[in-house]
Amino acid sequence: MQELVNAIVEMMENDALALTKKYLEAGTPPMQIVDAYKEALKIIGQRFEQGTYFVPELILAGEMMNAASDLIKPYISAEEGKGGGSAKVGRFLLGTVEGDIHDIGKGMAGMLMDINGFEVKDLGVDVPAKRFIEEARQFQPDIIGLSGLLTLSYDSMKQVVEALKEAGMRDKVKVIIGGGQMDEHACQYVGADAWVTDAVAGIKYALGWMGK
Amino acid sequence: MIEGWENMSSDQRQEAFLAKWVSGEGIEFAGDEVKAAYAYRAGLIRDAAKLKKTPERTPVVVLSTFAPTMLAGCPAKKAMYDPEALGKVWVDFARDYDADTSGNPALVMYGPPLEILDYNLYKWPGHGIKEEQGYQFLEKPYMKAEDYDHFIADPTDYWFRVWFPRTHGALKGLAALPPVYGTMELPAAGPWLATLGAPPVQEALKALMEAGRASFEWIGKLLPYMGRILSSGYPMYAGGFSKAPFDVLGDSFRGTGELMMDLYRRPEKVLEAVDRIVPLMVGLGSGMAVANNNPLVFIPLHKGADGFMSNQQFEKFYWPSLRKVIVGLAEKGCVPLCFVEGGYNQRLEYLADLPKGECIFIFDRTDMAKARRVLGGKSCIGGGFPVSLIMTGSPKEVEEETKKLLDRAAGDGGYILSIGCAMDDAREDTLKAFIQTGKKYGKY
Repeated sequence: MQELVNAIVEMMENDALALTKKYLEAGTPPMQIVDAYKEALKIIGQRFEQGTYFVPELILAGEMMNAASDLIKPYISAEEGKGGGSAKVGRFLLGTVEGDIHDIGKGMAGMLMDINGFEVKDLGVDVPAKRFIEEARQFQPDIIGLSGLLTLSYDSMKQVVEALKEAGMRDKVKVIIGGGQMDEHACQYVGADAWVTDAVAGIKYALGWMGK
Repeated sequence: MIEGWENMSSDQRQEAFLAKWVSGEGIEFAGDEVKAAYAYRAGLIRDAAKLKKTPERTPVVVLSTFAPTMLAGCPAKKAMYDPEALGKVWVDFARDYDADTSGNPALVMYGPPLEILDYNLYKWPGHGIKEEQGYQFLEKPYMKAEDYDHFIADPTDYWFRVWFPRTHGALKGLAALPPVYGTMELPAAGPWLATLGAPPVQEALKALMEAGRASFEWIGKLLPYMGRILSSGYPMYAGGFSKAPFDVLGDSFRGTGELMMDLYRRPEKVLEAVDRIVPLMVGLGSGMAVANNNPLVFIPLHKGADGFMSNQQFEKFYWPSLRKVIVGLAEKGCVPLCFVEGGYNQRLEYLADLPKGECIFIFDRTDMAKARRVLGGKSCIGGGFPVSLIMTGSPKEVEEETKKLLDRAAGDGGYILSIGCAMDDAREDTLKAFIQTGKKYGKY
């Protein structure tokens, strides 16, 4: 199984898929294979945080994971599929704010939060404040991540924070803003708890808030 | 043509093209005073760029897209549909804000031809974007993995027959066209010409004709205003536009996700493709610069920033082809003005590997003290002012921050004061405070 972990970690996509198939056909318990992927993803996440892996590796890892789960699914019983999830660190609600349709940074943040044990709900792009509030009521997140690349997103982010206050939810969640033009000025203006320009910094805040 | 051009070095050609630009040749100035003001402003840029002479003060450049129209209360949709309103606003903006350069209002583009062509590459006000907001890029893998060989063999053919039909709804018919090569001989010209007559191709050609006519009318209305910006003494900070080959491939063709995976899946194809794009980008930038009689070629840099890839990947996939574009433009006498989006703190040493004083780098989030340390005396640097402070700060805060930035970055020349963002929006009091502080405290 270490061979599979290595193949995934070293971005040997074809080898990883071939090994996955080989193990499945040989009758290896599918959850064991899933665990190998999880372990590999964890190492990839660490390398990303250490600054040796970047966007190409993270995206390719995501693709390998997707391809593998398509292969593995038929072998997993309904029961195994449901259970087996380890306890989550916390809940993270995520979206690109209204008026902005950029999603690369948001996608990376979501993926890294997932790797780090958060239950992630991604609302997509151009998400109005009202929808953040509705979803937050349902999902009960510990942290809300607001993404935006454009300066117009400052106002949209501010609206989400205001709406959280009105709904009496502001003190129950941490709000983190992320994007190319975020800094302490923007953070203050928006009324967020933290700002980041890269996903790794976001993970550190998130884990810190959850006491990890 | 400039005398002696054939035998000049890149540096000499840049000097000659810059001198022509600074002289304001071909511009009908209102008077000698205005002409002198134009020469002074353009001269500040030239001196900062070439690193041979400390300018009297640091030039102040405001990179902008929709900010001039937003500040004037003109919604983005109006800016994209009413060239006269757009032109007037930009003339007023240049005069009232009085930075050293103006942008080019034509880059706001015209909505009607985009509608005619059913353009899918961007969303724009009234078309997927609120009427008050500027356009936004809609990145998708318009080019498929199996298309690399076609792209590499003939990018223009690929562009016309594959990429246009996928990105412009009204040009779907072009997909039916055979390549043009048969037209070299009479007996083989038939298939090409006959296909031109097929109804879907005719529809596509009609759409192009119509979009062209609309755009021609638009530029006819806008040109007098562009002339007024120049004749009132404000040079433009861009005569041409170009891009880093890796960004061309990533932004408009493969999309970020696919291209990043290509670095592992088909690295050789990526390298061939970016190399193939180099001469196209040199030709694009220099052609526009010559047509506009302005050597500055604006190059926004996207996917090579810190965090996007490792230094090894940057060194292999991003930098060599960009460097060739920079050097190629300089050989044509153009002055590349790279707008370095995001942070480049890990990449500065690469940028330092260029001939002295041939390229300008305007930074967004890069540490400007470090940029000065690494690039000082090698290339002109600029930017570094946070747009967030323009949007949310007070004029006093902006003034303080501008002074601090000048202390960090201005050195003894080779610096252009600007905000690290092509602005979609701004605020009047803070933006004016920024420009005025720059002029006052940017003196050497």
